[in-house]
Amino acid sequence: MATERPLVLPGDVIPPSLIPTSANPNKKQQPLRLGPGLRHIPPSDIVPTVAGQLITVPHKNSMWVEYNSSRYTPTPSDLVIATISRSGPDFYYASLSPYTANATLPHLSFEGATKKTRPQLPPGSLVYARVTLANKHMDPEIECVSSATGKADGLGPLKDGMVFDISLGFARRLLMARSKEEGKVEVLELLGEEGLAFETAVGRNGKVWVSGASDAKGNEGVNAKTVVVVGRALQETDTKRLGVEQQRKLVKKLVREMR
Amino acid sequence: MPREAEPSLNEREFVLKALQENTRLDGRELDQYRPLELTFGDQYGVADVTLGKTRVLAKASAEVTVPYTDRPLDGIFNIATELSPMTSPAFEVNRPTETEVLISRLLEKTVRRSGALDTESLCLVAGQKCWSIRVDVHVLSHDGNLIDAACFAVVAALRHFRKPDTSMEGGVLTVYTPAEREPVPLSWLHSPFCITWSFFGEEGEIALLDATWLEEQVRVGSCTISLNKHGEICQIAKLGGTPVEAVALLQCTNVALSRAKDFSAFLDRKLAEDAKRRDKGGLLAELSAENDR
Repeated sequence: MATERPLVLPGDVIPPSLIPTSANPNKKQQPLRLGPGLRHIPPSDIVPTVAGQLITVPHKNSMWVEYNSSRYTPTPSDLVIATISRSGPDFYYASLSPYTANATLPHLSFEGATKKTRPQLPPGSLVYARVTLANKHMDPEIECVSSATGKADGLGPLKDGMVFDISLGFARRLLMARSKEEGKVEVLELLGEEGLAFETAVGRNGKVWVSGASDAKGNEGVNAKTVVVVGRALQETDTKRLGVEQQRKLVKKLVREMR
Repeated sequence: MPREAEPSLNEREFVLKALQENTRLDGRELDQYRPLELTFGDQYGVADVTLGKTRVLAKASAEVTVPYTDRPLDGIFNIATELSPMTSPAFEVNRPTETEVLISRLLEKTVRRSGALDTESLCLVAGQKCWSIRVDVHVLSHDGNLIDAACFAVVAALRHFRKPDTSMEGGVLTVYTPAEREPVPLSWLHSPFCITWSFFGEEGEIALLDATWLEEQVRVGSCTISLNKHGEICQIAKLGGTPVEAVALLQCTNVALSRAKDFSAFLDRKLAEDAKRRDKGGLLAELSAENDR
């Protein structure tokens, strides 16, 4: 991970020193991969299209602009929380964000689904899914099963619980492999340390699903208060841009109020 | 025109389940409002009200027109409500949705028909010239409870508004610019506020104030009570929905009265603060048209 993260504005000139080059000249050079927010203008110009932090990863030879926005643009292999809006003959039509074109979710792309055993989802139910196809000019496609292994890997219909809206940047921070060190988000761990039992699913389309964990008797999500506290902690951390120390204070305060 | 976004089944079920446990999603009490904020513009008669994430802007304006022939001694007072596509893509210009019509009607009933503004004082020359006062309500952001926020914004804007001073000498009507004479406030009789209760549960047994957008989507009925700080009820609107016990409704009006008193005190305080900010003192204060001549 690059140590410095320079701020870029749309149309800025990116100095060549920031553009990663292959570290080992003997190895065959990977092509440079551009992520969101960057545009290649042939022959050799790379121009940012949004304002944000320029992030470069030399060992993968890739770069992108990290920015916070409200509009979700589907990208392949994103994990999203989708709402089923209706069912067609072969597909469910699911919405990733309101007022945008629906994504299609094939009836058979659930774990172990056949024509007869596929899950019957009424309009309005939630699924945790992965984006498989995202094209500028076509409706996105999503799936709830890994097409390579046939396993769900945690994807599938979400029962009970509650969905909270968060910003896209915060969702990405939550989904980072080391969200504590890199994303500076510790709020979920802190809530767990306070003895709250819950499970979450984070969608890159700016949604978090939170559910109270089932207790010993198997009562699903018995405690609505826990879910509310987790949701509020997440939303406040997001909107007020709290640091780790402030997150700790917030969690203490919310848990005290709850008890 | 896209359809309005709908909450998912999980959200609907959870909101209801949490309410059964007396919990709201933002941790408020059932009869607690979200933080209310009010800012006045540089001009007279501009009020910007935020209630949580709901934001409403009201602007009052005045012009001299001819009065209606059947009411030669009255001025004209109008409230225009607009829900623009900026609020939500489901709203369209020039095609009022049900929400918009309801807000207009309720504001009309609350502020205009309750006689909050003395329209007779707007008459300049009987049958020929009168003031036409118009309030434009713009909803900038919609997170539920538009009616209460809009009503508060309208009342705040009208009480903050100053119309140009006029004089009548020998059949000649003169309208003074603010530089010549300090503008004068409207003749305001009482300040009504809308308090909206939302009902949940099979028989509407759970009642709560200041519903958010999500709660509004789930509720089984709502009741808007308009009243001033003296407890004079201007109107009660319970438009369809599940029937509610009369005793419960009485309890609702009692709580509504205390909220109306809070609103009234809050508005008085904000108006006083604004007056203090504008008060230049000295000669300008002496020149005010409100002084005795």
